[in-house]
Amino acid sequence: MSTARARIDSMRPSRPGPTRTAPPAMPDQFWTQGRYRGYVAFGACGFFLLTVGGLLLRAVWVLGNGDPAAWQALLESWANPIYVVFHAVSLLALVWFGLRFFRVFPKTQPPKIGPFPRPPDAFFAVALNGAFLAATALGVALLWGVLA
Amino acid sequence: MSSSPTKKTFVVTRFDPDQDEHPRTDTYEIPVREDWKVLDALNYIKDEVDPTLSHRWSCRMAVCGSCGMQVNGEPKLTCKTALAEYGDTVVVAPLANFPVVRDLVVEMEAFMEKFKAVKPWMIHAKERAAEEGTYLQSPAELQAFKQFSMCINCMLCYAACPVVANEPSFLGPAAVALGHRYNQDSRDDGDAERNEVFREDGGVFACSYANECSEVCPKNVDPAAAVQQAKLLNVLDWAKSFVVPRGGKS
Ligand code: SF4
Ligand code: FES
Repeated sequence: MSTARARIDSMRPSRPGPTRTAPPAMPDQFWTQGRYRGYVAFGACGFFLLTVGGLLLRAVWVLGNGDPAAWQALLESWANPIYVVFHAVSLLALVWFGLRFFRVFPKTQPPKIGPFPRPPDAFFAVALNGAFLAATALGVALLWGVLA
Repeated sequence: MSSSPTKKTFVVTRFDPDQDEHPRTDTYEIPVREDWKVLDALNYIKDEVDPTLSHRWSCRMAVCGSCGMQVNGEPKLTCKTALAEYGDTVVVAPLANFPVVRDLVVEMEAFMEKFKAVKPWMIHAKERAAEEGTYLQSPAELQAFKQFSMCINCMLCYAACPVVANEPSFLGPAAVALGHRYNQDSRDDGDAERNEVFREDGGVFACSYANECSEVCPKNVDPAAAVQQAKLLNVLDWAKSFVVPRGGKS
């Protein structure tokens, strides 16, 4: 049985009832086991989203300043093995985050979208994953210099 | 169908508000039949071993929603959950996230308050005169909300939700699903009123989509989908308020 505690005021009525009650417990297996793992990992990916977003903003800032030496220094700093490992882990985390988000996305759509009924889940799966793959291919092609 | 009894051990949470400082557990070893549900075992304990055990149940066919408990850590309807799914030891506890009134009985008052907050009744912009006839609805219009109307108020989704555990003001899955059900009903005009409640602190945006509510729901209501749909419709509603005078409300 779980010993984890929910907040003591979780599901407490606005006025106390006639009898004394014991405080609530958290759902069992919170938060390292069972299905909660995926949920907690999904939330933890926020760290990578935030950090990679910050790094990208920094790159855009340096690029915008138009100083080739500063840009070169930034690229060299990113060649540091710690950064390389961080980016590799971030890539894995964010791809998983994206795929889980796409899986969840169809559920978030109302039964009617404007005048049209909600398309089948397969439509969303193909559209979202297709857009993701196309954007990734485009990015890789640009970085590789295939597309000038 | 009946079969010869075998023995199972039940570790059951006990709490007497007049005597116990904290909940504790009692262990019962009882003969069980293969075709029993968890509720049958609890009823056996109450009838044959320990009449002081308190638990709720009524219909025994998964429609009244009163027999929800944690079984081996998962919120379950005990009248629907086969004992055969479990090993020799079964741990039964009151629903998580709820204050405990006694043994396996939880305090439901806050749940009812949250339900009331979403105005789960028909709201009409203009009452229809009797001579205008009944409200008609096409099968497609019914389909838009039918799934969300299948809730039996069993509270399993509240017991599974980590946001309910940490954010006492959160309306919670079933209440949002119910409000959303009325918002999707073609006969109802109350969505603006309900959306105000949905957008308050503890409304739909408190949900971080653990999806546990939908995993444990015994009626496939999919309350997580209702919450996410309500979020999207509220964002659109909010955005519309900038471009349409008075948010499109007359
Ligand atoms: S939404 Fe499902 S789990 Fe939640 S109260 Fe209704 S029937 Fe029970
Ligand atoms: S006794 Fe009614 S739902 Fe279980």
